[in-house]
Amino acid sequence: MEKNYLIHGPVSKEIISKLIERMGVQTDCGGHMFFLGQVRADEIDGKKVKAIEYSAYEEMVFAVAEKIKKTILSEFEDAKSVEIFHSTGVVNAGEISLLVFVSAGHRQQAMLACSKTVELIKENLPVWKKEIFEDDTHIWK
Amino acid sequence: MEVKVLFFGVLAEVSGTTFKHYQDVRSMGDLKLRIQDDYPEIVHYNFRVSLNSEITDEDSTLKSGDEVALMPPFAGG
Repeated sequence: MEKNYLIHGPVSKEIISKLIERMGVQTDCGGHMFFLGQVRADEIDGKKVKAIEYSAYEEMVFAVAEKIKKTILSEFEDAKSVEIFHSTGVVNAGEISLLVFVSAGHRQQAMLACSKTVELIKENLPVWKKEIFEDDTHIWK
Repeated sequence: MEVKVLFFGVLAEVSGTTFKHYQDVRSMGDLKLRIQDDYPEIVHYNFRVSLNSEITDEDSTLKSGDEVALMPPFAGG
């Protein structure tokens, strides 16, 4: 089955809980690393961001995310698994729009691999964001 | 022959659409000129182009069924 890296709306507590539950069966891992990207209520020219609306090139997201996972698992030999979830649609300030979860045999590889995964996502994942202000005007980032 | 062009991010707003079909375009260069004719303001924006989900900067020959995407700088996370 084709894995879906995109979820509509914010990354839910249920997704995070399921990953935490799964950790228990990965007994070959000594370190798990979460990165949770949150929508920030930035203030720009006196206007406050209330939400971000994400859009994505879905077919390309799949190919790019698969490639990122492959890169990480070959570059960090101790990394055992990489999970990526990115939001599409509206995510309010304070909600989570990106989840990266890396499990590795040891802590250092888990931390480095997680950090590298986030950077590769920022550089390569075909996702765009529209910041929506409290007065419903918007800017593209 | 027909190719499908996808517009993402701010380019979807500028063009007023998320996709458009173009007939009888021979190459990527040819297609870009056609798109600029339809949406002249697009030249003011920075974007990359993909052909069938692969980023390219070549003036490739196009065939029927190809999918071209106009992509502003990525802004995930």
